[in-house]
Amino acid sequence: MQKLFWFIILLIGLNSCVVVREYDKVYVNDEEMQLSARPCERFETNFHIYREASAGANGGKTGGGCGCN
Amino acid sequence: MMAGMGWSQQSNTSYKRRVLEASEVDLLFSYYNQDGQNAAVTGGEGTEELTDATSSIVLRMPMNEDDILTVDVGLSAYTSASSSNVNPLDGGVDVSPFDASSGESRKDVLAYINPTYEHSSDDRNTIWSANGYFSSEYDYVSIGFGGSFTKLFNEKNTEITLSGRVFLDKWNSQYPIELRNGFFDDRITGNGTYQPIFSEFENENRNSYSLSLSFSQILTPKLQGALFMDVVSQNGLLSTPFQRVYFSDFEDFFIDEFQLADNVEQLPESRFKLPVGGRLNYYLNDLVILRSYYRFYWDDWGVQSHTASLEAPIKLTDKFTLFPTYRYYTQTAADYFYPKEEALSTFEFYTSDYDLSDYDAHQYGMGVQYKDIFTSARVLSFGLKTINLRFSQYDRSDGLNAFIVTLGTTFVGN
Repeated sequence: MQKLFWFIILLIGLNSCVVVREYDKVYVNDEEMQLSARPCERFETNFHIYREASAGANGGKTGGGCGCN
Repeated sequence: MMAGMGWSQQSNTSYKRRVLEASEVDLLFSYYNQDGQNAAVTGGEGTEELTDATSSIVLRMPMNEDDILTVDVGLSAYTSASSSNVNPLDGGVDVSPFDASSGESRKDVLAYINPTYEHSSDDRNTIWSANGYFSSEYDYVSIGFGGSFTKLFNEKNTEITLSGRVFLDKWNSQYPIELRNGFFDDRITGNGTYQPIFSEFENENRNSYSLSLSFSQILTPKLQGALFMDVVSQNGLLSTPFQRVYFSDFEDFFIDEFQLADNVEQLPESRFKLPVGGRLNYYLNDLVILRSYYRFYWDDWGVQSHTASLEAPIKLTDKFTLFPTYRYYTQTAADYFYPKEEALSTFEFYTSDYDLSDYDAHQYGMGVQYKDIFTSARVLSFGLKTINLRFSQYDRSDGLNAFIVTLGTTFVGN
């Protein structure tokens, strides 16, 4: 798992100097390529926060609400 | 002078593209249902039955060329065994932890509002935002605020966001009925006298502070990824006041089949959480896109978890997309977790909440999206842009099962 993690970091590092021009962004600008969760995923994220001991690192809510039911 | 005025007028008419061209409205609805046999309200044994219906409206309005105001409001109405078995005596004739009481305590409504104001710089490379949050339910009020700062550079190939949020929450503690002052019931059975070691919580505040850092990078014309890290600190009343605990060194007392609490859970007044995650999305071809996510989580209560998910949107036509999803989750137990009647009364901290136990979970889902970029279907002055319908089944290794159905629509104003 650790090797995979460092491989991804290395991959990002190696590629970060590559600049993709605006006219080449047709694929990364596709709605399905968004790096945030879908709006309709918010309710699933809510129940994960309630039912699981961990939360966060997904651009979502990280606190507030008792989550006790 | 006339020439100067002419120049001034001409420069004022230069076109600047709006960050958001028109108002958008999201109407979201979800129905959630769960069941299991390890309810925390009845000390780790009892029904976890719960249903929740939530409706939200998210309104995004362009305030000018650079600014957007988003207002997110919602209502969540739930019926749960957790709530009902705070007082299992207010419902039916027979009292059991495996039946939800039919009394009024079984249901509640959570209402919330979450406004956000966002400003983008002229070159669209700098974005800041400020947000607020307020939610209220019968036994809990949450007030939050925060802000974020985003910088794009490297020809918008790289994006870094730093954000912070604060939640100042307050409990209106509801304790199990048998632990409240003045409780008496002549149906109590057991050896000796029922003497729990309960005392009410003095501090009912719960504060949460989070600092988040995200870094996203376009890696190739078809591949982009992001890394996220949150640092979260919580303090105050982190126990849930109505969650019962039964000790192994105490006699058992009952009303019918319902065992009376020895105490409520006792958890530390601080918690430090450190989740680190990443997303990697790949445009495989015009038919399929791969969306992956992984998160590692650690906290100082002894919980470590791994979350991995994969979604593969399949573009059936220009308008219809299917998105099958799979999510795997595993966590270790908190240091303070004990199954029913395994904790000793001499311990400082204990809980029988199976959400803090050792388990893994599988979630399978399928969604379908209809998208009409021309917004030809209209409601008043708004055009229908997308409809999303999504179903997910969640199975936990401790026996808790749940499903959720979500319907989302987006309308665009003219």
